[in-house]
Amino acid sequence: MWRYIVRRLLQTIPVILGATLLIYALVFLQPGDPIVALFGEKPVSEAARAQLEAQYNLDKPFIVQWLLFLKGALVGDFGTSYSGQPVSDLIARSLPVTFQLAFMAMIIEAILGVVAGFYAGLRRGHIFDSTMLVVSLVVIAIPIFVLGFALQLIFGVQLQWVPPTVGSATTFTNLLLPAVVLGLVSFAYVLRLTRTSVIENLTADHVRTARAHGVPDGVVNRRHVLRNSLIPVVTFLGADLGALMAGAVVTEGIFNINGIGNLAYQAILRGENPTVVSVVTIMVLIYVVASLLVDLLYAALDPRIRYA
Amino acid sequence: MTQPLLEVSDLHIDFSVDKRSVNAVRGLNMTIYPGQTVAIVGESGSGKSTTAHAIIDLLPGTGKVTQGSIRYEGTDLVKLPARKRRGYRGSHIGLVPQDPLSNLNPLYKVGAQIREVLEVNNVAKGKAADARVVELLEEAGLPDAKRRAQQYPHEFSGGMRQRALIAAGLAARPKLLIADEPTSALDVTVQKQILDHLDDLTSELGVAVLLITHDLGLAAERADHLVVMYKGEVVESGPALAILQDPQHPYSKRLINAAPSLQSERVSAQERTAIRRAAQEHVSEETEVDVETPAMQIQSLTKVFKLPGKGFSKTDLIAAQQVSFDLARGTTTALVGESGSGKSTVARMVLGLETPTEGHVYFDGVDISTITSRDQQLKFRRRIQPVFQNPYASLDPMFSIYEAIEEPLVVHQVGSKTEREERVRTLLDQVSLPHTVMNRYPNELSGGQRQRVAIARALALNPEVLVLDEAVSALDVLVQDQILQLLNDLQVELGLSYLFITHDLAVVRQIADDVLVMQGGRVVEQADANSIFNNPQEPYTQKLLAAIPGRDIPLAG
Repeated sequence: MWRYIVRRLLQTIPVILGATLLIYALVFLQPGDPIVALFGEKPVSEAARAQLEAQYNLDKPFIVQWLLFLKGALVGDFGTSYSGQPVSDLIARSLPVTFQLAFMAMIIEAILGVVAGFYAGLRRGHIFDSTMLVVSLVVIAIPIFVLGFALQLIFGVQLQWVPPTVGSATTFTNLLLPAVVLGLVSFAYVLRLTRTSVIENLTADHVRTARAHGVPDGVVNRRHVLRNSLIPVVTFLGADLGALMAGAVVTEGIFNINGIGNLAYQAILRGENPTVVSVVTIMVLIYVVASLLVDLLYAALDPRIRYA
Repeated sequence: MTQPLLEVSDLHIDFSVDKRSVNAVRGLNMTIYPGQTVAIVGESGSGKSTTAHAIIDLLPGTGKVTQGSIRYEGTDLVKLPARKRRGYRGSHIGLVPQDPLSNLNPLYKVGAQIREVLEVNNVAKGKAADARVVELLEEAGLPDAKRRAQQYPHEFSGGMRQRALIAAGLAARPKLLIADEPTSALDVTVQKQILDHLDDLTSELGVAVLLITHDLGLAAERADHLVVMYKGEVVESGPALAILQDPQHPYSKRLINAAPSLQSERVSAQERTAIRRAAQEHVSEETEVDVETPAMQIQSLTKVFKLPGKGFSKTDLIAAQQVSFDLARGTTTALVGESGSGKSTVARMVLGLETPTEGHVYFDGVDISTITSRDQQLKFRRRIQPVFQNPYASLDPMFSIYEAIEEPLVVHQVGSKTEREERVRTLLDQVSLPHTVMNRYPNELSGGQRQRVAIARALALNPEVLVLDEAVSALDVLVQDQILQLLNDLQVELGLSYLFITHDLAVVRQIADDVLVMQGGRVVEQADANSIFNNPQEPYTQKLLAAIPGRDIPLAG
């Protein structure tokens, strides 16, 4: 078990090396001059340009830039943004916001998705099931940025139930609508996956045998159908973390949330290598650790799976 | 006079398929007295399991009782509301299901699943329930029950799982136990142990048993009273021995003739000699090979698997040890043994799918390990073909029957498209399937038909040797008998040699000339079929023979 965890954590090293190198190459290839972007419309003097290039290592080949970044990252120095703030400060400020948002979205998609999927599966073909299937189809078909703007317009601008943008006031109620938007697409997938899984498990031999032993229907459904149906759902949720983080970039943009997605988006626009790469590194780390946790949870749910 | 425990009268069960209703059971009558064992015998689709499920109100899908009554101690269960009927399940009527693998929830400890039965039926709770679980498992014949109760189903063998299911089925002390093919997924020796134990336990507790089985020999051995079902109707019922010795209905007669366990050995032995002679004649007349040289020679085959042990060490698992035999042309050699005896490992090595750790496989005098060029390997593959156990899993569901049979011809680039089509038609004729099945898909065929397709597919490349790995084990007796007939006919017609792998000694007599009995990777006895059956030398062979159900029952004529 511990050997497995250590091995999995060691695997993150090449993943992070590869991911950061890839990002460095992509940012390097990106058209536009970051220094021009930094100065906006104002003219840049040659001296200032040379000084900035030296300060941010822009005069060196990208491989060297990458190696210098790795050297810094090893001792916890992720460099400074072009506005002069340490990147670690920026991340420390925006990460908790995104965590809160993603956590809320995860709760919404997991709990609502499983509950709705479970009941839809138990009442296959009934009105609730049909409604849920249509709703999930609609949600899956509409892109997240359309959905986000539409809900923002309805609930934020017209009904004014929630503020249309969040800004720096990241309270639970303010984040509720963005979290719903972020979790909605995955909610539809979780619902469908749970429903299919429940329908399959309802006809399992051991479920029939449990009924034959006199176990009441409610207990059979909870203990034997639901738990067995959760296994594929948990796997999906693990893989879905990536989608959640990608979705955070769009959602945070729509609702103006100062989270890590927004930070990455702004940094990409400005061509700020240190910030972009640091954010990606953090995201990769979170993703790897989270999928490890999901795999361990998987083993806890299914005793047939043991890691060695 | 004693009251009947269960009285089923004029029972009709319908399933609706595409808005049409299909009768699964028509006008079934049956009576079970307290403590009595009654067996329903029939092939798959005869309605025997449907009847059992109707009794405990667990008909699958659209199944519905449309007429008749099921009286349990005088109460008509059909008329009771669903909630009240549930009260009868477990506490009055228990169930031991068919497949021990799929009938335990893989996510819960075995003990917890039995404890659940105790708790929902208000037999015991908490600590008392835990103690009772251990008692019940011990009672079901599971050694080391206390530790076993804390294990998960996947840590159990098939026989142990079935014991756990028996413990669960009897946990709430029902008066009637429905045993739905309780041992058909198990090896014969385990089957005997389990049934013996079930017999002892139910007679000790005075529990009546409704045994559902397709095996007439087994039913006759275990039950007082038989009910023979065919296509949803009872064709015959009465005392077990009377039906066996003097069957009235043609279907019962067919069942008795087909049951391998009940077949007269004299006839089989004579037929076998005739088949072998005809097959060998075919080889010497129609082909250039010398009938005297064996098709295959297997020399001291040994296979050792390295399994991960504690830490970084590896432990050895000896799957097969020093197995040697010759497969003479036009004959059948049977490898018999329980699961884990190494018989399938030997088959895989013979097919060249597994490299032996030691020893050699000679095909037509050539050591197959020396065949290295792709061209030569393809040639070798054409001459030896496998047929596997599960016809449901060994055919690709996305391939039509035509595509499935044609595939080996395409892979080996045999003939043009029209020639291949002609060949597929010939093959279908050989396995007695109508040409109309060509456009159908595996899920539209029955198990027996699928196995015929698998055989046609194996024959497509004109092989000389067929390796039949449990090829009839998953089939009902009647279908099994037909497939064995077909194999015998094909042997005569094409001069084939068979390596026949099975756990069931009963079918061996119908097809084999030579028999190897394997146990724990070793060959314990090796002789011709007659000697094995009439004069077994080794205790293990004797045990396997004794385990064949219904062997000691005298038949008429």
